[in-house]
Amino acid sequence: MATIRGESGSVEFETGSGSLAQVVGTRSWSLSITKETLDTTVHGNTFRQFVGSLVSGSGTVELVYDPDATGQAGFIEDIVKTGDAADASFELFTTGTTNGTDSLSFGGIITDMEITSTVGELVVVTCNFITSSTITSNLE
Amino acid sequence: MAAADLNSIRATIEGRLATELASSPVIPVVFHNMAYEPTPNSSWVQCLTSFGASEYLGQGLTTNSQNRIVGLVLINIFSGRGVGPGANYVIGKRIRDLYNRVIVSGVFFDAPIGPEALASPAPEGYFQTQVRVTFESIEEL
Repeated sequence: MATIRGESGSVEFETGSGSLAQVVGTRSWSLSITKETLDTTVHGNTFRQFVGSLVSGSGTVELVYDPDATGQAGFIEDIVKTGDAADASFELFTTGTTNGTDSLSFGGIITDMEITSTVGELVVVTCNFITSSTITSNLE
Repeated sequence: MAAADLNSIRATIEGRLATELASSPVIPVVFHNMAYEPTPNSSWVQCLTSFGASEYLGQGLTTNSQNRIVGLVLINIFSGRGVGPGANYVIGKRIRDLYNRVIVSGVFFDAPIGPEALASPAPEGYFQTQVRVTFESIEEL
């Protein structure tokens, strides 16, 4: 058994025209996956029953802003990409950087970007995204 | 990108003070682990730079990651006893201005505290005030 601390994590991203590469300076990431359900309760049932339906996800990546950090500009500026065809790829690692291991990978769209500058604090960027199509879980 | 050189950070901080106090009017300045025998009733400055707790800033372990290194510059200002605080505060202003809102060589200085008068000067025989400045530097691995 091995627990994992958040600093082991990392984020890889590609905007649709390259290959996955680490976004340097990520402080945190989160992904929430939701499965819709369909009610299949019929006459005669005494308990409501369901089947699983469409799966979707959304999440957040938080960055310590550094204009020179590898991968940050492409990630942050994806928000201003018009006619976004959901061709960006994400891979969120809980630990390590081996593609397909200890990670969640998916295509997606960055839907919100917020950059915050506060006296006495580091400038941070928060990007929210939604998944599009398959989410592959490698969390085994 | 490489691990932070603590001596480089220290040199940035202390070099700034040494350069300022070497200009007229010259004030002797002494740093950690240096012997100094002050002239009675003269003005002089002691600068003590210390590093404190670091903090993980970003993800990525030992490569492609950032840490925050924080520290404290504690500056004792000594001046003649029994002649009021004016001369001491003149030195204090010079020192405060050196670090106030300054970012130099990747070292970020916070708002200075002081000069605060100390009731029990050490060594005795002087009027002592203290300026404290916390600082931080971002280590990029």
